[in-house]
Amino acid sequence: MARTVAILRALARAFQRGEKSFASLAGNNFFLVAVLFLGKAGTFLFLIMGLVLLVPLSTDPLRKIPKSRLGLWPLEKREHWVLRAASPWLNPMTWAIAALALWAAHGVVTAGLWALAAGLFAAGFLLSDLPLPSGSAMWRRVPHFPGALDQLIRKNLREMLSTLDFYCALLLSLSATIYRAAGQALPAEAFMAMTVLVVVALSSFAQCLFGLDGAGGLARYRLLPLRGWQILAAKDAAFLLIAMLLVAPLAPLAGLGSALVALAMGRRPSVEDPRPQARWRFSAGTSPVYGVVEVMAMASAASAIFFTSALVLAPCVAAWLGSLWWYGRRMEQVQGGRFRG
Amino acid sequence: MISCRNLTRRFGDFTAVDCLNLEVGAGGICVFLGPNGAGKSTTVKMLTGLLPPTSGTVEVCGLDAAANPLELKRRIGVLPEDLGLFDDLTVEEHLLLTGAVYGLDRQETHRRTSQLLHALSLEHGRHTFASACSHGMRKKTSFAMALLPSPRVLFLDEPFEAVDPVTSRVMRDLLQSVARRGVTVFLTSHILSVAEEISTQVVMIRKGKIVWNSPVGELPQALEQHYFDLVESPVVEELEWLGLSPS
Repeated sequence: MARTVAILRALARAFQRGEKSFASLAGNNFFLVAVLFLGKAGTFLFLIMGLVLLVPLSTDPLRKIPKSRLGLWPLEKREHWVLRAASPWLNPMTWAIAALALWAAHGVVTAGLWALAAGLFAAGFLLSDLPLPSGSAMWRRVPHFPGALDQLIRKNLREMLSTLDFYCALLLSLSATIYRAAGQALPAEAFMAMTVLVVVALSSFAQCLFGLDGAGGLARYRLLPLRGWQILAAKDAAFLLIAMLLVAPLAPLAGLGSALVALAMGRRPSVEDPRPQARWRFSAGTSPVYGVVEVMAMASAASAIFFTSALVLAPCVAAWLGSLWWYGRRMEQVQGGRFRG
Repeated sequence: MISCRNLTRRFGDFTAVDCLNLEVGAGGICVFLGPNGAGKSTTVKMLTGLLPPTSGTVEVCGLDAAANPLELKRRIGVLPEDLGLFDDLTVEEHLLLTGAVYGLDRQETHRRTSQLLHALSLEHGRHTFASACSHGMRKKTSFAMALLPSPRVLFLDEPFEAVDPVTSRVMRDLLQSVARRGVTVFLTSHILSVAEEISTQVVMIRKGKIVWNSPVGELPQALEQHYFDLVESPVVEELEWLGLSPS
């Protein structure tokens, strides 16, 4: 038993140092919007919470130990089982799910609730033993683009496609599109609102554009003979391409304005305070306050374009271009920059 | 080709590199030796513009690294300590990216990419993402990226570590070949036999200070022995439980 306790203790220390699940929740714009505005939409919120919570659960703390190392340690089968059963409780998300389940049951713990909890943990264990795709492997075939930035844009696309932000936005876009295609009567404003929601789901990524490049990637950027604005433009191209594809069936001009504002506002944290991100998580932005301001600016731009004139797109483009120029220069000045945390 | 004067880098109270003075001429292969933590990688980072020095000056290809960073980047090839690879690009895509951003035309980039992949035994893994590559493959990819644009100066941080013997041989031949064509090579290594074989200049650093700098022909004894005498000698602890004693 002493061996198991020693391993669990080391695991807890390692997990505590690397844990990002809570940060992923706290700094995500879509989560903020869901909590602030959709609190009463019970089912919807539960769907989102499920998506947010279940996937982090799948990142079992036991994964911190390389499989080869775990296999080499002289542990008995019984000790492996103890590790298997105890390690998920090192993840605060496990406790959060337990609390959520109790809250949902209003304090009445029924057999159904026990079954739900058992199902969740079984799913968690099952997912943790599945080899998750790296994201890049899933999206090997992405289109080529003209110019010297081709491979950088392709890389950036693969990065975005390995975040949960994209899948959440895709879900929203598909739901609205299917609803529209089914001939359901909805006011035009509803599609504008859905457009904003789709871009909001992507917008936290705009605050951490370099989060999936890793230290090696950041070093390479500093070695490539490219101007700062070119590196940022390659990031923006991927972001805008995905955003425009998702909002095309909804309100594209409002979506474009909103996406440009998201990029312009996300520039400062992306360049000045690059935070590492994890794949298959929601992107974590810089802070909830910054996120709320960003969402408000995006919503204002989208509604101004939608309700008044497409000319409002012009200041959005100007803000985006200005941020590209200014932070492109800042990127060239920031020598030896490193990720936080 | 490479010149630095009183190059110093401090991290808080710790001085990683202390008043380093160094000259490496065109076509030279300078091997920079020292124990872990001696300041080798910090020096490479300062020479390549990745890290600003606390004080002192660096000139590479006649360019001040601080004043002309973009122009400098166009003329040098670097294998950095952390290899500088993107997880979301394949081995081949890294080379295609390099060709494109260094201004090579598409056809030439593809030609050089194919040749380098073949020479470095990377052909079988050309479509493998960097995140799925072995350390050796990642190192070879980064090495190929450094060579592909035909730079005038090469900076290589521990290029031979973790690569297979055949590729190591190919890498040595490639470096000697480009040096004969006037390319300057500055590399760090812990493999003293390789260092002795290919270098024209040997520099040893200990605790951030240069303790030896001479052409390889002027070494008073075998490189390994000289290194042990000047930099650090193996410490033999008494580890009875492993059957090891100082005697």
